[in-house]
Amino acid sequence: MIVVPFVALVFGFLVVYYVLPPVPSRWADYVAIAIVAGLDAFVGAARNWLEHRFDEAIFLSGFFINMALAALLAFFGDKLGVDLYLAVVVALGIRIFNNLGRTRALLVSAKVEARRARTATASE
Amino acid sequence: MAGTPSKKNWLLPFTVVCVVLGGLLGIQVHSQQLRGATAIGRQTGLLVERLSRNELQLTQQREEIERLRSKLAEYEEEAASERGLARLMSEELQASRFAMGTVAVKGPGVELEIADSTMRIGGEPGASDVFVIHDYDLLQIANELWAAGAEAISLNGQRLRTGSAIACSARLIEVNNVTIASPFVFKAIGDKDKIVSALNIRDGVLDGLRVLQFPVKLTPKDEIVIPPATVAPVYEYAQPMEKEEKG
Repeated sequence: MIVVPFVALVFGFLVVYYVLPPVPSRWADYVAIAIVAGLDAFVGAARNWLEHRFDEAIFLSGFFINMALAALLAFFGDKLGVDLYLAVVVALGIRIFNNLGRTRALLVSAKVEARRARTATASE
Repeated sequence: MAGTPSKKNWLLPFTVVCVVLGGLLGIQVHSQQLRGATAIGRQTGLLVERLSRNELQLTQQREEIERLRSKLAEYEEEAASERGLARLMSEELQASRFAMGTVAVKGPGVELEIADSTMRIGGEPGASDVFVIHDYDLLQIANELWAAGAEAISLNGQRLRTGSAIACSARLIEVNNVTIASPFVFKAIGDKDKIVSALNIRDGVLDGLRVLQFPVKLTPKDEIVIPPATVAPVYEYAQPMEKEEKG
């Protein structure tokens, strides 16, 4: 089951890379920022999952809408001559890092608790 | 349902998201590759094309010059074979052409080869402007050669004639509007001993270069051939003055 999203990822990559024509290079910045936003949604979902708060509606809406908003913000920044692009990258970068840290902490603590429980039952 | 996600709940959104994310990655990788390829490739291609076009033009023009010269030589020969005024004129023409430097010459002289310094600061070649040969170094040497009585000089195959300039152009040097680079080879026809001692004079131009470890090779030779100037000086503004106008 877990392989399905991976296959989907590779599939999406290959289809776009080999089949579709390349997008104009002036879009590259917006695509990059959309990817960062997508990663943010992904990491956020991982954290929510571990905290038992995962909700697919929030995940999906967060993924697509944040992506669009991030790209839109960067676009407006370009139009206004302000590097809002950087603001988005910094904000999302910090969030991704926070969420990754939180995810790691949750995973480690879950493992530690499991081990403690095991030793406790063994010693009883 | 709420709070405890079932398998059905996560699989579909994750798959959708992954397809989109993969697609975006595909777009990005593709466009980055294209961008890199075009930014460098396009520029190099353009430059190569321009260079080859210029080179073609140059060879064509050289051929043209050669053709015209041989034609001219024919006429001159014809004129010289005749007697009287035409012959005199032809001789005069040869003499002034010789003076102008548009005739190849040979004779005893020296060959001087210099290159950018082997000394490095910060490990990077050319990191400091102190260790590369500049236009003024070459100018100084050329001046020294003239001063020592050199009768004809060439620098990297470019004849130094009236109006020849040695100028800096970006990181290269231009002489007679031709770009040259290190190593630089001067050829000079004249009194060998006089030129050698003039160049080697204490605190002279070569002394200064040797201190900074510029490779300097000065060899006197019995026969040196110096090519003609490809283009004679052009006088656009200056006009010859009649004797009566003097004063």
